[in-house]
Amino acid sequence: MSTSNGAVALSISGLNKSYGDFEVISNLDLQIQRGSIHGLVGLNGSGKTTTLECILGLQSFNSGSITILDKQPSDLHLARGRIVGIFDTPSLHPNLTVRQCLQHARLLCDEPTRTSEQVEQLLGIDRFKDFKIRHLSLGNKRRASIAQALLGSPELIVLDEPFSGLDAEGVDDVLQLITHLNRAEGTAFLLSSHQLPYLEQICSHIAILHKGSIAVSDAIAELLKSTGTEILLRTPQADAAITSIDGIATAQYSHTDESDYLHVQLGAMDSAELNRRLVADAIAVSEMILQRGSLGKLFREITHEVAP
Amino acid sequence: MNGLLTAMKCEVFVALRTFSSKLIVLTPALVVLFQFLLLRMTEAGQSARDNLLGNNSFEDVVANNAYGYFVDGLSTGLTMLGLLMVAQASYSFSFDRDTGAARHLLIRRVSRSSLITAKLIHLHILASLSVLLLIAVSYLMSELFWDFGAIVEDGFELIGENEIRAEIAAGLRLALIPLPAAIGFGIFISVCAQSATQAVTTALGITLAIDIFKTMLGDIAYYLYASFQPSLIDQSYLQDVSRLVRGYSDVLNAERVLELNTWVPLPTLVLFFIATLWLLKRKKM
Repeated sequence: MSTSNGAVALSISGLNKSYGDFEVISNLDLQIQRGSIHGLVGLNGSGKTTTLECILGLQSFNSGSITILDKQPSDLHLARGRIVGIFDTPSLHPNLTVRQCLQHARLLCDEPTRTSEQVEQLLGIDRFKDFKIRHLSLGNKRRASIAQALLGSPELIVLDEPFSGLDAEGVDDVLQLITHLNRAEGTAFLLSSHQLPYLEQICSHIAILHKGSIAVSDAIAELLKSTGTEILLRTPQADAAITSIDGIATAQYSHTDESDYLHVQLGAMDSAELNRRLVADAIAVSEMILQRGSLGKLFREITHEVAP
Repeated sequence: MNGLLTAMKCEVFVALRTFSSKLIVLTPALVVLFQFLLLRMTEAGQSARDNLLGNNSFEDVVANNAYGYFVDGLSTGLTMLGLLMVAQASYSFSFDRDTGAARHLLIRRVSRSSLITAKLIHLHILASLSVLLLIAVSYLMSELFWDFGAIVEDGFELIGENEIRAEIAAGLRLALIPLPAAIGFGIFISVCAQSATQAVTTALGITLAIDIFKTMLGDIAYYLYASFQPSLIDQSYLQDVSRLVRGYSDVLNAERVLELNTWVPLPTLVLFFIATLWLLKRKKM
């Protein structure tokens, strides 16, 4: 990770935040690079929204420092639209129409890069343009909320639960949009979500927030590499298979579950090599299931949840 | 004051496209219009009866003078406007916070102090428009139904037109001076409250409570801006003007009260504004 200030979009150091005696965020450190898509995940109540609100200057914090595009959270308005926040609850005026909301948001842009019509089409809400916000479904409110952000050229977009309330098509649209903005315009994203598969799909980096501080934060490829791959084997020669596996340095037998699957952790060795060795030892394999490392698995490991 | 102009533009943009701001501007004038129509209908019947009976007294001279009705119209309209402005001021910021609309402004272009200043200015513009419309409607309706002129009884002028106009101007000025403080109070409550509903009920509740209990407060009441506003239990100078312009000479104006009317509300507004800014800096948005 580069530590040059020019490359850092967001830097949080030693952040602490308490509500009375209850410590929500404890000594949180996080760095987000310009042009990256950074996912922030955590259990309910782990402090994700509070962290985002502190970053965006919407609430104060007890100690620590936050620098966002070289600005302090309390001076975020000086960034003049280079930072945008989109929240779980769509922050729109309920008595305005979609088009009026977008025109309203244009007043906040120094140089709007897209017209209201363009962002309506981009988000698929052009047919609702004359609907008042209060008459829209939650998904379309969220689309309108994201549309507002796209009128200017933000360098960093902070999204809290961007996929909640969206249908499958809406999720695809948002995923495509985030990827497109990131690649075409270099927009950095900080996404807070419980939808781990979606984050795994688009994020370049992931930070896992647990008990108020960052448990891990790295490039997603590095994190998934560390979780390793697991193979589930079913064989009538279980004992022989375990002996054979014990002879392989990069594979490790873990346990046998109640369905008689042997759980084998794979290191650098790929599954084809394990398969070759079992065949060479004349061990009949009736079933072989490959379980790659996933964000969900890593998340559960860190938060001590039991995998289903 | 970063982003004050942007915040103002946003306020005006929303005001032009939503109903609540229009309601503030139009309601006092419409209420007064309705009041005048009712009064005229009632008076037409009374006048016909008096003519038939041959009654003609000082009361008729007073009854036909438009200045008295004009001041009554202003008094009714300003009472309504005072309550509306407190309600709207307490609603405006808390509603934007409830919906999250304020967050967009704060993150993208506008500082907290600019946001609240823009709201304060916007509410003053609304109040000014409402007062102008109220004066116009009151004047036109009074002229339509009655005649403006001096109060003359048995050839003796009790009060001349110039004097009447001067008294009305003074009454109007003294009645308007507390209005900014009422707006400041509403905004202060708006920032204190947890929700828009809580803000409006609290602000109106306190305003009505002051109105009811001000008579029990004695001289202390004169240090409350609300004591000088035209209200349901009206002790404002405009109430006295209503009698003065009708030729009654039993109005006693304590100079000290008029001075307090002039000097208490504006510092109160400043205090509310400073307290609002202080609180807003610490408030979760």
